[in-house]
Parts: sequence; structure tokens; C-alpha cells
Amino acid sequence: MLEAGLIIRALMRNKIGALLIALQIALTMTIIVNAIFMIQDRQAQMLRSSGVDEANTFYLTNTIFGQDYNIQAALQTDLNTLRKTPGIVDAIQINAIPLSGGGWSSGVQTEAGEDKDSIGTAVYMVDDHAINTLGLELIAGENFSATDIQWRQSGQSTWPDKVIITKALALSLFPEDWQSALGKTVFISQNQTIQIIGILKQLQAPWNGWDGVERSMLVPFQMESKGSRLFIRTEPGKRDQLMPQIEKMLAESDKGRIIRRMRTMEETRERSYQRHNATNKILTTVVITLTIITGFGIVGLAIFSINRRTKQIGTRRALGATRWQIMRYFMVENLLISSVGIFVGIIGAVSLNMWLVKTFELAPINLELILFGVLTLFIVGQLAVLYPARKASLISPATATRTV
Amino acid sequence: MLIMKNISKVFHTAEIQTHALRDFSLTVKEGDFVSVTGPSGSGKTTFLNIAGLLETYTSGEFTLDGEDIGKLNDNGRSRMRNHKIGFIFQSFNLIPDLNLFDNVDVPLRYRGFSAKERKRRIEENLERVGLASRMKHLPSQLSGGQQQRVAIARALATDPRFLLADEPTGNLDSEMAQGVMSLLEDINKQGTTIVMVTHDAQLAQRSPRTIQVMDGRVSELDLHLASANQQAIA
Repeated sequence: MLEAGLIIRALMRNKIGALLIALQIALTMTIIVNAIFMIQDRQAQMLRSSGVDEANTFYLTNTIFGQDYNIQAALQTDLNTLRKTPGIVDAIQINAIPLSGGGWSSGVQTEAGEDKDSIGTAVYMVDDHAINTLGLELIAGENFSATDIQWRQSGQSTWPDKVIITKALALSLFPEDWQSALGKTVFISQNQTIQIIGILKQLQAPWNGWDGVERSMLVPFQMESKGSRLFIRTEPGKRDQLMPQIEKMLAESDKGRIIRRMRTMEETRERSYQRHNATNKILTTVVITLTIITGFGIVGLAIFSINRRTKQIGTRRALGATRWQIMRYFMVENLLISSVGIFVGIIGAVSLNMWLVKTFELAPINLELILFGVLTLFIVGQLAVLYPARKASLISPATATRTV
Repeated sequence: MLIMKNISKVFHTAEIQTHALRDFSLTVKEGDFVSVTGPSGSGKTTFLNIAGLLETYTSGEFTLDGEDIGKLNDNGRSRMRNHKIGFIFQSFNLIPDLNLFDNVDVPLRYRGFSAKERKRRIEENLERVGLASRMKHLPSQLSGGQQQRVAIARALATDPRFLLADEPTGNLDSEMAQGVMSLLEDINKQGTTIVMVTHDAQLAQRSPRTIQVMDGRVSELDLHLASANQQAIA
């Protein structure tokens, strides 16, 4: 059927060209499947929610330079003013910004002691307005009360008694039942006790590439520091209009400090994933270029092979082959060469993926992606051979009687 | 069997028109063995190409085995070539990458025969040309005469009504040429109509009927008579 046997036997006597193209297809398969996998992996990372109401939040840096400055009083004034400003939902002081790349972390453990395993978590120092300001969802327990909030001096090594943690951190601490974390006392800095009073659905850490990015903790601290960040949430659609107003208002209300680095959470996300985006663009270019080069390789080999076999094609036409039968010959030939290349490519793709998994701790490749690669290369092969095959089918049967 | 009436073939190039055939008329009856001779450029290959449906003609009427060729499209002409015409080429035109079995198989596959039927026909025809024992050989492993025998087996495998031979002995030495000619005579005796284009007057003499093509026109020759006259003068 379809002359496959004859084509294979003819190919076996002219292996080199066909093997080179099969090898090119195999390499393309290996690379594109893994490249697409890496693109998808990054895209999935970029699509993760930070847990914050990113569309309606922004933050700024408040740097104090005034002498004899009452930091505690000034912060309370700022927060009270902001919280009363029409259009602002809530505001807090915060030590770190999710996805910003810079922040604080600590280790939390279920048993005290230096020799016990601890689980790393991002630490956000906030007051009882944090859940509302960040737009977080408390799925168990309760929020801090105003009396839980303590002032933290710079260099202080003790921690407050209560914390609110994310579900991911709860799951890491109590893998069998994350809900059992509520009310439990765990240890921070190896042996200081803290009680888990609430569990958040999600709040990402400042570091998007960290494998514990979902593990975060709210600590009821306000910082008495000359450099701090204010995080503000507005009513939907009012962020862009309010940002310059607030910057101006804060700057003018207190001449002992400067307001700078005002940035939205959306910008932070974009900056955070800038490298991911750039890498994805490069990988996409590699995938497209490689596929096109392979396509041209197939076109080149087919044209070479057709030019070499012009008289043979004319003879086949003379012996009764229709134009379609000539086209089909080259399409089946390509299908056979592609099959060899794709088969080797599957082995290559899985092997490369296994190496990537081992070296870079990526997830293993999925079957759908391999099927996608198989299908894409078969289609590219058939499309690439279509023009040369059509050209071959137009060779006149009279070529058979030409002596030159 | 083959009726051509006033066939013309004009090749157009950018500046000139070349009349390869002009009012070419010929009738070949079933069972004939006709030799076509003529100098280079006389139009005999054009005639062969048109007779073998390898090329179309510009004007005139052409009927082959009762079928009006002018009405056939490309697929129809392919089918007709496969079903009714066998070709023997000067340079054999075997496919170098395929062994003898697979070479003879080529037209049978286009015909759509079952594998069993194809095998039977291949073996029978290779037997007929005396090459059954070399079925797995490649064409390059055979002499020229043997290669032409394979080409004949390939031409006969589809049971054509009409065999077209283009200088079938042109690339063979005289001993091999005589062998191939004898084979063609046997095939003709078994009822296959043969039209053979040749330069070789001696070979043409062996066929019962010879026509000469000159400047794209046909003229009937009696080479047997001409030869007898030459002998009488001598």
C-alpha cells in the first residue's frame, strides 16, 4: 500500500541525505519540545496569582531625614490620613513587597531546637489592616487585633506571639492536615514560640523563582525605621488617579521626609517576570527558527532528490503514474523520513528533559507536549514537501524518452 | 489499433515556432510490427511521444484502441498508458535503486493489482525474458542486454495491447541487439502490436512494415524491396 516498501528499499540505497534530514528532524523535535515545555513552565509561573489585589494597589518609599523626628507618631498620622482619604480602601506600613525581589525570610519549625528541620517562609511585618489592604483572603482563624501590634526596633531579634500564615506554609508544617495548623504553637528562630491565629488562602513571597514562593507569614510588627514602605489599596479604577495626588499630599504634609519609588503592583509583577518574558521570547524565536530551518531542509532535500530523479519520475509517469501518485510518492517518502526523525526525536526530547529535571529541578515533560511535537513536525514535513512534490508531479512523461 | 489523422505538433518558443509534425497520418493495425526510421530531428521521437501519450498534439485526430485521445485529461492518459501501452526505452530507464522484482512491480502498483497477482506477473515476465533467477539483483549488476530484457519484462507485465519501443537496441552491441530484436519478434507473434523507432536500417528490415519520417511527415517504405533492388544492381 502506498509504495512504502518500495520507497524504503530505495531510501536504504541512498541513506545519507535522508538520514541527515531525519537527524535534523530529531534535533528539532528534541529542542522544540523542551523549549515549549520551558515556555509553558514560565507562563504557568507568570499566571500564578500573588494573592494580592494587584489591579488596585501601589506602594511608595518613605525616607525620613529630619532630625528629632517622631517616627511612631508620623507613621500613625500618615496611615490615619491615608485611610480617611476618599477612594482609598486601606493602607499599611510593610517591610517587603510581594514579587519585588527583595524581602525578609525566616525559618519556622514544629519542634524547638537547633537540630530540628525548619521551613523557610517570607516574613511580612504589618498591622491589623494588612488583610484588607493587600486584598488577602483569610480562610481560617482570625485577623490580628489592634492590641496585637508591636513596635519593632531595628536589630530586634524577638518575635511577637501571634502570626498569620499562608495555606502553603500550613501544609508544609502539617502535611497531613493543613487546617490543624490553626491555633498551634510553632517555633521561629529555633526556639521562640509563635501561635498561628489565622490561615490565608494565598500570599506570595517577594522571590518568584523560589520553590517556596507560596510560603508567607504575616507578623504583627510596625517598624520604627527611617526608611519604610507604605502600601495602599484604592477602590477599583481609582488607583492611577490617586497615585500622584497621594504622592503630593504625603510630600507636602511632612517636610522631614521624601516620598519616592512609587510603583503599582502591576508594574512590580511585570518587572518581576521581565527575565521570564525575555527568555520566553528568545525560546519562541528558537522554536520558530528551528522549525523553519527544518522545513527548508526538507524542501532542499526533496528538490535535490527530484532534480536527481527527473528521468525516473518521467519514466514512472510513462509507466502510468498519475500526477497525484507522483506527489504521493514524495509525501510518503517524507512521512517515512520524518517518522524516523520523530522517533529518535522523542527519545532525545525525553532524555534532554530527564537531564533538565535532574539538573534544574524542572517538572517532567507531559505526553501532550510530545504528541504536539510529533504532530507539528509531521505537518511541517508534509507542508514543506508539498511544493517540491507538486513540482515533481508536473514533470512531463516525455522526459522518459529524452536522451540528455 | 492506432489511427492518426493529420496530426500536427508545434513547439512555441519566444521567437519561433517549430513544426515537429505536419499533417502526420498513420494507421497501425492490431498485431502489426512497424519500424519507424528517419534522420535525427525528423520528428520520430515526437511521433513516439504522441503515440505513447507522453505528450499532447497541437491538432489532428488520434484514436488508440478505439479511444479518442484528444478527449482524455491527464489522469485519463496516465490510465491509458498504464492499461494499454508498454514502453521500452533506449537507455532502459530502470530505477537504479530498485531490484529487478521491484522494477517490474512499478507499473503493476499503479494498476492496483493485489500483491499476489503482482508477484505472479513479475515472476512470469522475468521468466519470459530469462532473468527469473536474478530477481533480487540491481540493474547495475546486469549487462545492457539484460537490462533491456528487464525493461521488456516491465513493459509486458501489464499485458499491454500496444508496445512502443524507442531505439530499443541503441545502447547495445550487435549480438545483444539481435537477441532483443528476436524477443520483440516473439512478443509480436503472440499478438502484441509493436511500433519501434530505430536508426538501424538492418533492424528495421526485420520488421514486416517500415515507415520513414522526414521533416515531420510520414512516408511508407518497402525496405525489403529496396534491399532486393540493391542486391540485383550489385
